[in-house]
Amino acid sequence: MKTGFLAAASLAALMSVAGGVSAFAADLEELKEQGFARIAIANEPPYTAVGADGKVSGAAPDVARVIFERLGVKDVVASISEYGAMIPGLQAGRHDVITAGLFMKPERCNAVAYSEPVLCDAEAFAVKKGNPMKFASYKDIADNPNARIGAPGGGTEEKLALEAGVPRDRVIVVPDGQSGIKMLQDGRIDVYSLPVLSIHDLMSKANDPNLEVVAPVQGAPVYCDGAAFRKQDVALRDAFDVELKKLKESGEFAKIVEPYGFSAAAAISTNREKQCAAAQ
Amino acid sequence: MEWDWEFVWQIMPTLLEGFKITILATVLGAAVAAVLGLAIAIARRSPVTALSRTVGFVCEFIRGTPLLVQLYFIFYVLPDIGIRLPPLVAGVIGIGLHYATYTAEVYRAGIENVPRGQWEAAKAANLTTRQAWIHVVLPQAVPPMIPALANYFIAMFKETPLLSAITVLELMNQAKSIANSNYRYIEPMTLVGVFFLAVSLVSVVGLRWLEERYARMDD
Repeated sequence: MKTGFLAAASLAALMSVAGGVSAFAADLEELKEQGFARIAIANEPPYTAVGADGKVSGAAPDVARVIFERLGVKDVVASISEYGAMIPGLQAGRHDVITAGLFMKPERCNAVAYSEPVLCDAEAFAVKKGNPMKFASYKDIADNPNARIGAPGGGTEEKLALEAGVPRDRVIVVPDGQSGIKMLQDGRIDVYSLPVLSIHDLMSKANDPNLEVVAPVQGAPVYCDGAAFRKQDVALRDAFDVELKKLKESGEFAKIVEPYGFSAAAAISTNREKQCAAAQ
Repeated sequence: MEWDWEFVWQIMPTLLEGFKITILATVLGAAVAAVLGLAIAIARRSPVTALSRTVGFVCEFIRGTPLLVQLYFIFYVLPDIGIRLPPLVAGVIGIGLHYATYTAEVYRAGIENVPRGQWEAAKAANLTTRQAWIHVVLPQAVPPMIPALANYFIAMFKETPLLSAITVLELMNQAKSIANSNYRYIEPMTLVGVFFLAVSLVSVVGLRWLEERYARMDD
């Protein structure tokens, strides 16, 4: 009985700790005072990138940096995270906002407070030269019992593949873009899926004539990301939205995202409500 | 954030899937470590200096570098020279090889504990070296080392989550992927801990029994 009691007591202790940490909130005044906002990124150019010198760039952090500056927060401090770990990390107070190309999907919209759309992109496949397995959609991968797809863990592509009916053991969770291309070259996977611009960026770096790109993937919608805040930080999100809107109207938004290859018009022509409802 | 039993039951089948792979990787890795460790221990005692020196150097090298780095090497670098192993095989080789260098030390201690007189007696009885190893030395050397070996296998079991880095879908990787798509870490990670604890506790009892049974055989 003694062990039973101990287990119950420690479980209760665990619960009280877990209950105690739910009340994180970042308000603008606090961020201004500390002088920086903590952002989560993924190091997936052109969405987010970390240079050899440690400098953070990429379209999403660049937009966030400009907006936070206008809100009076001088700098952003980035930490690299897996896509799947971003929302739990946000909820656990490890960062204040996610600016990583985390596309809006209904279940994500339920978990976080998104800003208005920032970056929009379609999905793409990287395959061996000549597309030997003739992939055009996620359904094609599900239908071929030998096809293995690589996708980022907890990313949109993993979900799309699973939703299309690819069994779990044929969806290989790839830790980062470089490993994905390497695994494709080594024949560990038959197709590697990421958004169009990310695949193009990786392919130009890999510079391998034996690989080619299939884009856009048929049947996969065009997704947009937004800066993602905690549900209780709606006030901060609204302040962010106001500046984002001004940025879009003044044309500066296009100047930031278009050099990276993103379409500013695509982000301006849609809105959060549409995107959050999109996949339903 | 609250504990959700319904979610626990929902993710249990997926975790059990991963747990099977964890057990499989441990058992196979232990087999590799047990056999290879013995081979290394014998090779290091070889009178051929070239062999014993080379094996000794390789062992020091493996023991002196992190397991995670070795796994990355086996999984991502070997394909460049045409060796492409499936993730689980790469993992078993990596973890088995790594622990073989440790079990080799256990074997060495066991073998050195066999009194010199036994070797001489074997020689006097006109046994070949091979016969002396198989019929005289190893039967006396192995039982006292069983508890120490088992100890390494339990340690190895707890290292298997490293295999998630080379895309093996073992317990930790399954838990991560559940957490990734449900945005909940508390249940999957707690359960991973519970699974490992359950096996470790049972193993400790088994280990104690082994010690009773073998380690004090001389008494």
